[in-house]
Amino acid sequence: MLREFELDMPGNLQETLARLPGGTLLAGGTNLLVDLRARREDAERLIWLGNIDGFRDIKIEDGRVIIGGGTTIGDLLRNPAMAEAAPSLVAAARVFGGQMVRNQATVAGNVCSGSPAADTVPPLLSLDAEVHLTCSTGSRTVPLNDFYTGFKTNQRKHDELVTGLSWAAPGPHTANLFYKLARRKGDAITVVGVAVTVTRDGDRCTEARIALGAVGPTVFRAKDAEAMLTGEPLADDLIDSAARKAMEESSPIDDLRASADYRRHCIHVLTRRLLKQAWEDAA
Amino acid sequence: MTDQEIPYRQAEANVVLRQVGKPLERTDAEGKATGRTRYAGDYTMPGMLHAKVLRSDIASGRLKHLDASKARALPGVVCVLTAQDLPDRLAATDMPGQTGQKRASTDRQILVREIIRHHGEPLALIAAETPAIADKAYDLIEYEIEPMPGVYDTEAALDPGAPIVTEPDNIVGEHKIRKGDTEKGFAEADHIIENTFHTQFIEHAFLEPEVGLAWVDENGVVNIRMSTQVIEHFRFIADALGVPHNKVRILGAMVGGGFGGKEDITVELYLALLAQATRRPVRLAYTREDSFVGHGKRHPFSVSHKTGVTKDGKITALEVKISADSGAYVFLSPYVLLYCAVAAPGPYRIDNVKIDSAAIATNNMYTSAFRGFGAAQACVAYEAQMDEIAKTLGIDRFELRRRNFMRTGDKTATGQTVESAIWADECMTQALEALGEKTAASGPIKIGRGVATYQQSYGRITWFHDTSEAWVGIEVDGTVIVRSGVTDIGAGQASALGQIAAELLGVGLDDVVIYNSDSAVTPLAGTTTATRALYMTGRAVHTASSNLRERLVAFAAQELDARPDEVDLANGQAFVPDDPSKSMSLKDLAARGASEGLERSELAMFRAPFTDPIDQETGQGPVFPDFTYGCHAVEVAVDTETGEVTVLKSVGAHDIGQAINPQAVEGQIEGGALMGQGYALSEELIYQEGKLVSPSFSEYLIPTSMDMPEIKCIILESRSGLGPFGAKGIGEPSLTPVAPAIANAVADAIGTRVFDLPITPEKIVRALRE
Repeated sequence: MLREFELDMPGNLQETLARLPGGTLLAGGTNLLVDLRARREDAERLIWLGNIDGFRDIKIEDGRVIIGGGTTIGDLLRNPAMAEAAPSLVAAARVFGGQMVRNQATVAGNVCSGSPAADTVPPLLSLDAEVHLTCSTGSRTVPLNDFYTGFKTNQRKHDELVTGLSWAAPGPHTANLFYKLARRKGDAITVVGVAVTVTRDGDRCTEARIALGAVGPTVFRAKDAEAMLTGEPLADDLIDSAARKAMEESSPIDDLRASADYRRHCIHVLTRRLLKQAWEDAA
Repeated sequence: MTDQEIPYRQAEANVVLRQVGKPLERTDAEGKATGRTRYAGDYTMPGMLHAKVLRSDIASGRLKHLDASKARALPGVVCVLTAQDLPDRLAATDMPGQTGQKRASTDRQILVREIIRHHGEPLALIAAETPAIADKAYDLIEYEIEPMPGVYDTEAALDPGAPIVTEPDNIVGEHKIRKGDTEKGFAEADHIIENTFHTQFIEHAFLEPEVGLAWVDENGVVNIRMSTQVIEHFRFIADALGVPHNKVRILGAMVGGGFGGKEDITVELYLALLAQATRRPVRLAYTREDSFVGHGKRHPFSVSHKTGVTKDGKITALEVKISADSGAYVFLSPYVLLYCAVAAPGPYRIDNVKIDSAAIATNNMYTSAFRGFGAAQACVAYEAQMDEIAKTLGIDRFELRRRNFMRTGDKTATGQTVESAIWADECMTQALEALGEKTAASGPIKIGRGVATYQQSYGRITWFHDTSEAWVGIEVDGTVIVRSGVTDIGAGQASALGQIAAELLGVGLDDVVIYNSDSAVTPLAGTTTATRALYMTGRAVHTASSNLRERLVAFAAQELDARPDEVDLANGQAFVPDDPSKSMSLKDLAARGASEGLERSELAMFRAPFTDPIDQETGQGPVFPDFTYGCHAVEVAVDTETGEVTVLKSVGAHDIGQAINPQAVEGQIEGGALMGQGYALSEELIYQEGKLVSPSFSEYLIPTSMDMPEIKCIILESRSGLGPFGAKGIGEPSLTPVAPAIANAVADAIGTRVFDLPITPEKIVRALRE
C-alpha cells in the first residue's frame, strides 16, 4: 500500500522554489508513486508542480524549441509542430509507456529520473538539448550532455527546479531518428534505445550525433563513433565501422530483459540501420 | 462414425433454433459496460476488518522463531494468527468433487510451522481496523528464517541426496501409456526424429486479483463472498476450520478472470480463519504482488518426443518422456500430468505409443491448474515435432498432418473411442485459407507461417463421476428464473444458461434472470474449470428446461384443446403452428397453471459419463467425456538481426459442436490468441533460487493491444458434442494451439527452431548464430 506522505501544493513558481529544499518533486508521478508504493523511495514531503503558470507551454522561437518543465509526453504528441522540431523525440513519445503514462509523465521528469532506459533522453541528446534550472536565487543552463554525473545522479541541486528544456530544431539536410528495441510493443522498458542525428552537405556528413540508451549507467553520446563520421561520405562500410565503434563505447549489463551480449549486438545493428536511414533521409 | 450414428446429432438435427446460436447481448454485458457490476471486492460490511498475509521471502528455510506480540499490541490490530494458533490444522490441495473422493496425504500446512518450502509460503495472518494499521502490524511481526539448501530443478530433485521437498522421493505423480509395440513401430520407420521441448512458468494474470469478504452469521455459518472459480471449496474450508460442511457457505460474485488460477483455495481459507477468530466481518484483497506470489503457476514441462516415421510420412511409433515441475506442494500436479500424457500424441492416429511421465517436487512455487492444464504444454511439443518431422522428410507440413490425422470414429492413445466428430483437418484447412496471401519479406525481415492443431478434452476426468445441477422455474407472469451454483468467470457462463432456458421455454433472453454461485442456495453445479461449465451445467439447464417445457406444453394442450405434439412455445406464446386460432400467452399459461397447481419448476442433475480409473500400467481406458478439435494459424514477421517478432495474422478455427452464443465463442478465441501469444513470445516468471524476481507487470510481459493483430475467428459446428444442442467446449481449447502455431511460424521464418518457450528476440538471435 502507498505509504503516508505530506503533499505540498504551492500556487506558483516562486512558492514552489521557496519550498524545494527537503522536498521531493511530484510531476507526473509515474515513477515516484510506483517507487513509494514499492518502498524504493521514502520521501516524506512531495511538492506538486501542477499549479505553475505556463509550465506545459511549448514554444518555437527563432528555430529554437523550448518546452516547459511540466510538458507531458502526450503534449509532445498533440503538438503538430513537434514532428519537424523534434522527430526523434516524437518517435520516442509514441512508444513511451502506455497511454495513461503518456498522459501523465513529463519530459523533465523522465530526464531527471536518470534511468539509463529513459526514452526521451537519447532523442534529446541527439538534438543536443539544454536543461534550464532555476532556484530562488537565479537560473542556469546545463547542456544535457553534461547533466548526468552517474547512474541516476545528475547536476540538479536540491533547491533547483527544471523549468524547461530547449534545443535547436533540425535544419535542412538533417535527419533525426530514434528506435526503441523492447520485449513488446506497448508499455515496455527499453532494452536498447538509439537516437541519431545526421546533417549532410552534398556527399559529406557535416555533423553526426549518436545517443545510446539502456546500455550504460547513463544515456550517453558515442563520441568516438560520431567523430568517425564527421566530414566523411557515409558509405556502408564506414557506417558499419561507426556502429561497431558505438557498440564498443557502450557498457551494457545483463538483466531480466536481455543479456549484455545481446544488447551489444543490437547497438551495432540498430546504429547501423539508423545511420544508413538518416544518411538517405538527409539527402 | 457417420452423422447418423451419433445419437445426439441425430436428435437435434432438425431443430429450429430461435435463441441458441445467436450473438445475443449477454446478460452480464450492460453491468460491465456501465461499471455497475459488483465484483467481490466491491462488497463491504459495517465493522469490517482488513486482513493481510505475511509471507516468506525465502524459498527454502526453517522458521526459527516468530513473535507477533508487538503487532498484536498495536492499537487497531484485532487479530494475528500464526501456526501456534492453528494446532493440527491442514488445508486440502486436491480437486474438489461432489462424490467425496479425495486423495490421501496431499494436504498442506496452512501457516508455516517450521519448514518453509516455497517463496511466498504464509507465516501469519493479520486482521486490523484499517488497511494502514494492518500494514504497520505486518512490519512489526518479528521472525527469523534460517535458509536451508533447496532444490530448484526437476533433474536435481531426483539426484540421490537431493533435499526432499515431498516424501519419499520428490515424485508426486507418474503416469504411463502403452499401446501397441513401439519397438516394432520404430523397426518399420524410415526415419526416427528426436527432440526435446521446454515450457516455462507462467502467470494467470487475471485482471482482478484474489479478493473476498467473510463473516459469521446468526446461525454460526461462516459466509464468504469471494472471487473464485470453485464455490465448492466450502467443504475443504469447513474441514480446515473443524466445523460441519453445512456451516460454511461460499457466495461468488462476477469473477474478473480465472484461467485456473482461482481453481485452488486462495483467500477463502484465511478469511474463514480470521472471521472465525474475530467474529467480525473480514475483508482480504490481494495486491498484484500478493497475487504473483500467492497462487500456483503453470507447470514448466520438459517433453521429449521420439517419433518413427516412414518416408511417406506415416507415423509408426511414438515415445514420449514428460517431466513437470510441481513446485513445493502437490495441488493438481498429478492430474495436470495425466492431461499432458493423454494429450501427448496429439490429434494423430498412432498405433504404437509409449509414454512415461513424472511430476517432480522442487522448492519453486507450486504449480497447479492453468487453462490448458498440461494438454497445452503437450501441444507445444507435438505440433513442433510435426513440423520438425516434415522438415526432415521434406514433406509439406500440412500434408504430413493430413496423412496422420485422427478421423471421426477413431480411438485415442488410451483406447477411448471418440464419440463426436473429429474435424481437425477441416479446421486446419479453413484456418490456412483465412491466412490469405502471404506478406512479402523485406531485407532482414523474414515472413513465416505456422499452424497447430490439437485434441483437447472438455469435462473432467471420467472417474471423478462429475455431476452438475440446475433449477429452472417459470413465474406466474411468464418470466423465467434459472438457479445454478455455476460461477461466471467472465466468459458468459451464466448468460449461456439463460439462452438455453430461453430457447426451450419460448421466451427471450431478457425474460430470464439467472441466480448463480451460492453454495448454500443455488443447486450445486461443480467447478468452472476443465471447460466443463457450459457442457455440464448447460446440460442440466437443458434437462430442467425440457422437463418444464414438456409439462407446460401438456397443460397448454389442454387449455387450447390440442394434442401436446401440436403445441410449440416461442416468442412468449404457447401456440399451435398450424392453427392461428389456438394460442395463448405464456403469461396467461403460467397464471392458469399456478391456479391449477401446476408445478412450475424443475431441478435436474446432469451426470457426465462415469468410468473406472484407467489401468495403471498401460494407461488404457476412457479418461475424458469427449474432446474438442481445432487449429490456430499465424503469420509472423521476424527481424533476423534483432530477433523481434511481429505477429501479423492470427486465425483460430475450432469445431465447437454448436455455438450457444457465437459472440462469446469469439471472445474465447480472441482471449486464447492473446494469452497464447504471450506464452509463446514474452511471458515468463523468473525464479532465482525459488524466489520470484519478476513479480510485476513491468517485468512479466503480457502482450498489449499494440502487440496484437486482428484475430480471425472461425466457428465450425458439427453439432456432435456432449453439451447442450451438441456443443463442445472452447474455453481451454482456444488457447492450446496458439503458442505452438507461433513457434512453428517463427521456425518457418528463420529456418531453425527455438526449443524453449518463450521465444525471445535474444533466443532467436542466438539460434541464428549457431
